[in-house]
Amino acid sequence: MTLSRRGFLNGAALGTACTFASDMTRLDLLRQSSWADEVKKQGKRVILLWLAGGASQLETFDPKPGRPTGGPYRAIPTSATGVHISELLPKMAARIQQTTAIVRSLNTKNADHGGGATIMETGRIKDPGIEYPDLGAICAKELGRLDSAVPDYVSMYTSTEGRRKGTSGFLGSRYAPMFLSESMQPENIRRLESVSDLDHQDRLALRDLLAKKFTQNRHSDSLGSHTQAYQRVRGLMASEKLFDIEQESAEMRAKYGPTQFGQQCLIARRLVEAGVPFVKVARAWWDSHGENFETHRELCADLDHSMSVLLDDLKDRGLLEHTLVLTFGEFGRTPGINASLGRDHFAAAWSATLSGCGVRGGACYGKTDEDGHKVADGEVGAGDLFATILSALGVDPRKEYMVGARPIPLSDFGAKPIKDVLI
Amino acid sequence: MAADPVKLQKTKDIGIPSIAMCVARTPNSGRLIFGSSDFKLHEIDVFAENPQPTSFGGEGHQSYVTGVVLAGPNIAISGSYDGQLIWWDVEKREPTRKVKAHDLWIRRLGISPDSKVIASVADDMQCKLWNAETGEMLRQFSDHKPMTPHNFPSMLHAVAFSSNGKFIATGDKVGHVAIWEATSGSKVGTVEAPGLYTWDPRQRRHSIGGIRALAFSPDNNLLAVGGIGQIGNIDHLDAPARIEIFDWQKGERKHELNNDKFKALVEDLVFDPSGQWLLSSGGAGDGFVTFTNLETGKPIHQDKLPMHVHQLVLNETNDMLFAVGHHKIAICEFKADPSPAAPAEPAKS
Repeated sequence: MTLSRRGFLNGAALGTACTFASDMTRLDLLRQSSWADEVKKQGKRVILLWLAGGASQLETFDPKPGRPTGGPYRAIPTSATGVHISELLPKMAARIQQTTAIVRSLNTKNADHGGGATIMETGRIKDPGIEYPDLGAICAKELGRLDSAVPDYVSMYTSTEGRRKGTSGFLGSRYAPMFLSESMQPENIRRLESVSDLDHQDRLALRDLLAKKFTQNRHSDSLGSHTQAYQRVRGLMASEKLFDIEQESAEMRAKYGPTQFGQQCLIARRLVEAGVPFVKVARAWWDSHGENFETHRELCADLDHSMSVLLDDLKDRGLLEHTLVLTFGEFGRTPGINASLGRDHFAAAWSATLSGCGVRGGACYGKTDEDGHKVADGEVGAGDLFATILSALGVDPRKEYMVGARPIPLSDFGAKPIKDVLI
Repeated sequence: MAADPVKLQKTKDIGIPSIAMCVARTPNSGRLIFGSSDFKLHEIDVFAENPQPTSFGGEGHQSYVTGVVLAGPNIAISGSYDGQLIWWDVEKREPTRKVKAHDLWIRRLGISPDSKVIASVADDMQCKLWNAETGEMLRQFSDHKPMTPHNFPSMLHAVAFSSNGKFIATGDKVGHVAIWEATSGSKVGTVEAPGLYTWDPRQRRHSIGGIRALAFSPDNNLLAVGGIGQIGNIDHLDAPARIEIFDWQKGERKHELNNDKFKALVEDLVFDPSGQWLLSSGGAGDGFVTFTNLETGKPIHQDKLPMHVHQLVLNETNDMLFAVGHHKIAICEFKADPSPAAPAEPAKS
C-alpha cells in the first residue's frame, strides 16, 4: 500500500485525536491493530440507496421469467456473463460487470417493516439490553475523521410516514446522522442573522468552558460524545453548500434528472466527494401490496437511472474505487402474486447489491429456488451482509467495541463476509 | 330488452391455475378463450360438466397475455407484455402469424364491430391499428405523453372501438383520453379524467391508477372511463372504484361515480345494448360488478364476485355474463328472484 503524505497526516491526526477521545470508544481504539489499518481506511465512503418499503427482488436483481411467480417482465442479460436481471433495469444491466455484485440469497427472517428495518440497519436482531449503532454510525466512526469539517453521517429520508431516523446506539450522538426529512437541504444549521459570527464563536467558547468544568471528574461516554458533537458545529454549518445542487453545472444536474431521488443521489456524490463517509438516500416507497408491476415500472426506472448515473459519476471522478454503493431495504417481496397484482412482505429469499469499493464487479452470489420461495444455495443473513460491507471497506468486521465490559463485534456474532463478492 | 341487473346471480365459478388477464368468447357457446399470466392462451367450455382449460400450443408469447379478440370463426389474435401480436388457428390451437407490434408492453386489444380491424395499445404510448386478416399495420397514432407530469414512465392501458366502428378511444395513466376517427387516424376529441390518477408527492412519491377501461355507448355519444379514485395509501387499491361518463363530442362530463360499496379498480366496462345501464367490473382482493343507471348516474345493483375480474363478456342475448380474473372464471346469469341478495361487503385490499 502506498502512503501519501496527506493520508499519513490524516492518519496521524486521527490517532492523536483518538488518543484523547473521552467517549467509550477510547478503550476500543487502543485495541486497534495498526496504523496501516487506519491509513488504509482513509478515503473510504459509503452511499446506501435504501429501498424503503421493500423492493421486489423479482422485478430487480433476481428475476424468474416464465415461472408462476415471475410476473410479466423479462430477464435481460447483463454485461456479466450468465447474469440476468429484470428488464426494468437496462442501464444497470450494462454496468454489472464493471461495478456491481449481486447477493441473491438473503434470508433475514423478519418481514415486518419495523423489525426488518432494524435488522437491515444494524445487521442483527434487536437486543433489549443494548442499543446497537446502525451501519451509518459504524461507518461514521470507522471511516470518519475526528477533525472532519463535514458531517460523518447524512441520512436523507424525505418520504413516508414513520421515517427511519437511524441510530448511533451505544456509539453516542457524535455518530448520529444529520437527518433530512423535510427537504433536501439541512434545516437549522445556518447561523441566525441576529447572531454575529463573533458572537457565535464567543457562545461556543463559553459552552466549551462550561462543559469542561462540568465534565471535570466526571467520566461519561455520552458526555464525551456530546462534547465532540458540539466541537463540530462550525464545520457542519459550513457544509450547507454541499446540499445545494445549484452549485453543479446544468449539464450535471440534467444527467441525474428531475426526480427527487436523482437529485439526492447527486447530493450524495457531492457529500462523499467532500469527505462525508456515509450517506443514506432512502427511496420510498416500494411497498407494493397492490399493482406491484406498475409500481416497479415507475420506481425501477428511477432507481435504474439514478444509480447508473451515480456510479458513472463516481467512476469519472475516480471516487468509485473508494466508494461503496449499496442497495437494499428492510426486505424483499413475496414470490406469490396477490389478487391486487401486488406482492407482499418477504424476507426469506431476497437480494442486495454492492457496487464499487472492494467489490468484485459481475459477481452474483447465492441462488433462490426456481420460484424464488426460498434460498437454494449460499444463504446469508444481515450479519453476513454487514461483514461483507465492512470487509469491502477494509474494516475488520470482527473488531470489537467495548460497551462497558461487554465486547460487541462490528458485525453480528458468527457473521462471515461473502468472499465471493469481494476483491 | 335489457337484462334486469338486480336478477344477477353467480351460477358457477371455476378455478384455474393462472391469472386470466383477458377473454373472448366464441359466439353462441360457452367456449371462452382467455389469455393468462402463464404466457398462454387457453380455451375452456364453461358449460361442460367438468370444465378444464386447454392450452394453445406452438411458439407463443413470452409474457403475460393481456389482450385477446376473435376475428372470425377460427381466428384469435392475442397481445402480450412481450410486445407481440399473435394470430391463432383456434381449432388447431396453433399460432399462424407473429408480429412484433410494440416496443413495450401491450396492455389491451380492441376489435372493430365488423371484426376487420384490431387496435393495440402499449406502453410505448402508441395505438396501432391492424388488418385482422392480413396482419398488416394500417396506421398508428398517439396523443399520450411518455412521461407523467412527475417524470415517471406513463402507461397506455385502455382502448375501445365505438359501436359503429367509426371511433377509437385510448386512455392513459394520467387520465388523458383521446378519441380518434378509425379510418383516418385523425384525433376528433379529448376528455380528461385526472381523478383516476393518484400521485402521492409526500408519503410514497410514486403514483397509482390510471384509465384501465373505456367503452362507448350503443349510440356512440357517451364514453365511459373506468379506474380507481384518489387513494390515500397507495400501497393498496384502497379507494372507491370510479367511473366517469362523458358526452365526449361536447367534452362534457355527465356523471362521475365513486363506488360507495367497493374499494377496487375498474378493469372493464360494458354498456347494455339497449342503453339503460353501464356494467363496471374489476376488483382489489375480491371482485365486483356494478350496474349504473345511465340516466341518473346512480348504481342500480352491485354485487361481489369471487375474484378480481380482469375482463368480462356478455352473451348475445345479454342475459349471461362471463368474467375472468385472479385464478378463477365466474359465470353469472340474470335470473335471480328480483329481490336482491344482501349487499356485499366492500372488497378489501
